[in-house]
Amino acid sequence: MFKKKITSLDKSTTVDIFIKRPDKYREIENFSLEADNLITMGGCNSYSAASFKKNNLSLLFTKFDRVLEFDKFNKSITVEVGVKLSELLNFTLKHGLWLPQIPGYPSITLGGAIAANAHGKSSDTHGTIKNQIKSILIFHKTHGWMKLSNNENKDIFELTIGGFGLTGTIVSVELKLIEIAGYDFTTTVEKVFSAKDAVKKLCSRDLDNIFSYSWNKTFNKKKFGEGLIFNNKINENKENLTINEMYFKTDNLNKHFFLNLWNKYSIKFFQNVYYNYFSVYKKKIANDNFKNVLFPYSGKETYFHMYGKKGFIESQILVTLNKIDIFIDELEHLINIHEPEIVLFSIKKMIGKELFLRFENTGMCFTFDFSSKNKNLDFLDKLDALCVKHKLKPSIIKDSRLSSSTVQKCYKDFENFKKTLLNFDSKKIYRSELSDRIGI
Amino acid sequence: MNYLIVGASSGLGRDLAYALSKKTHNLILISRDIRDLVAIKSDLENRFKTKISTYSVDLASKTSVIAFLDNREIEFSLLDGILFPIGMMSDNDFITGLNSKAEQIVNANFLSIVKFTEKIIPIFKKKNNGLIVGFGSIASSLGRRKNILYSASKRALNSYFESLTASFENSHINIQFYILGYLDTNLAFDEKLSLPKASTKQLALEVVKNMKKNNIKKYYPIWWGLISYFISLIPFVVIKKIFKFIK
Repeated sequence: MFKKKITSLDKSTTVDIFIKRPDKYREIENFSLEADNLITMGGCNSYSAASFKKNNLSLLFTKFDRVLEFDKFNKSITVEVGVKLSELLNFTLKHGLWLPQIPGYPSITLGGAIAANAHGKSSDTHGTIKNQIKSILIFHKTHGWMKLSNNENKDIFELTIGGFGLTGTIVSVELKLIEIAGYDFTTTVEKVFSAKDAVKKLCSRDLDNIFSYSWNKTFNKKKFGEGLIFNNKINENKENLTINEMYFKTDNLNKHFFLNLWNKYSIKFFQNVYYNYFSVYKKKIANDNFKNVLFPYSGKETYFHMYGKKGFIESQILVTLNKIDIFIDELEHLINIHEPEIVLFSIKKMIGKELFLRFENTGMCFTFDFSSKNKNLDFLDKLDALCVKHKLKPSIIKDSRLSSSTVQKCYKDFENFKKTLLNFDSKKIYRSELSDRIGI
Repeated sequence: MNYLIVGASSGLGRDLAYALSKKTHNLILISRDIRDLVAIKSDLENRFKTKISTYSVDLASKTSVIAFLDNREIEFSLLDGILFPIGMMSDNDFITGLNSKAEQIVNANFLSIVKFTEKIIPIFKKKNNGLIVGFGSIASSLGRRKNILYSASKRALNSYFESLTASFENSHINIQFYILGYLDTNLAFDEKLSLPKASTKQLALEVVKNMKKNNIKKYYPIWWGLISYFISLIPFVVIKKIFKFIK
């Protein structure tokens, strides 16, 4: 077994790990039984180090990508979770079905999406991936093979969805699929004058078959959060269209430029170009294909490379509707004082219920991308304090900087998660850099 | 067309199953673990218009292979071809390390293939048609301190396929043999190798493309042929010196 140096996507963590790639069922058993501690790895596309830990074994699961059962009539599929989401969609879309909770990059695997309880572009209609999961098959070093569902091992079922892979290796999953009305989109763009205006407009939308999110500028002190709202509406015409298989080049997400090219000048420049391009030059209504809407980062990897070798931090915060106004006021105040360099600021609506460590609730999801500069890190500490003060949820899978103390204070189920997990796996066999950092 | 793939659940065997199914050939897949076979059968039938039969056979066990070949339910007479993308290695495959595993390695890499071929040759002779594809290894070019029985079995297999070619040169029975360099399979996944690993998907496509060609023997990737040729030119006296130097 050889050691491999691996770096998280946000470049916050680089460690040596052992890695094995099972491609037979008995190898899942054998490799797991041989290791003291391990964790499962899918596409290794998590921003934070969720699929590896220093000197521990990672089971690379990409060979487990097969369709085990498919029932078009009942809109149900059982599939091995090493399948890339783009490949899963290539299969289901041919049958007029899909899984709507798709994160933004095509090489993310289904297992990774389940372990993170991913939400997609339609998080305001379909919620998180949890809503599509009927049952899960896991392999655990001490418990062996376990079927999990609402009727079997329910507590571990709940713990596994959004459980960061800590309950064992998720091997396959049975999903409820959803009929899709069409294979292309009409995208409309509208201006918003502030972050509060964006929230108001996003909340007032009729959301059937529409994915809405905002893109906001971060340097306009007079109009905080001035920007654009993008509405991707599915064209309901699939009878007249054929869907071509989506093909993506080998991903090069992990590369980077030597220097960080994001600074206050380049951010201002790019934000102004982007804003003017969409508000002045580009048509207000345009056609978009499935691939571009579902996987917006694919083909735009340069965005990540521009953060340089020190990488970036993405902070995603879920704010319940009753706290939106006060959050935006205090956020604006903090930004005015600390003047962080925020490269990306976006808002979208989410629905769901909070449980354990899932990034899920009904509210608005605020996303901010920063380069790893001290000034930005200081600002993020203030943002953490704001989350603690108002009991807002920062995303654990996205923000590799979050401390155990912040997570404990923001997730009311933290102790419950930890206790239930410890009852199930008292030796803490399944561990990652992420789980160690947040103290579970 | 109907093909039998011996060792179909992973690596090259798995990719051959996909490449052949894509061309809507019907397949019989053989591997050790029924769970892997169920998964691959289901996936292939869901993706392609093809009929897949699967049988769990332990190719390292002589009795398991014989029991399968004696199974009267399997219609071997319908087969148009048989492919042997099988390879078994052991960490203990050195001079004093093997003990009980020696027989298994020789069975899986050589004798099971001989048994299958013995069964299928009379059927192909009767039809005056058929394809047999074997896969050797570059490891068989030279004796070694590690993987000794694996490389010995592969060298035997090479010789066996040369004999098959000689025997059926003037018939419609098509014998093909590929000598493989490093491949991106699980056998090589956690090995630090000095030369790049070739894709099993690409190889599977090449094998399927070449199936109509008569009696071929190829290195894959092709440049391994050159390396093998140079190795064959080195006198054994020099090789002994190299071994001494490596020690």
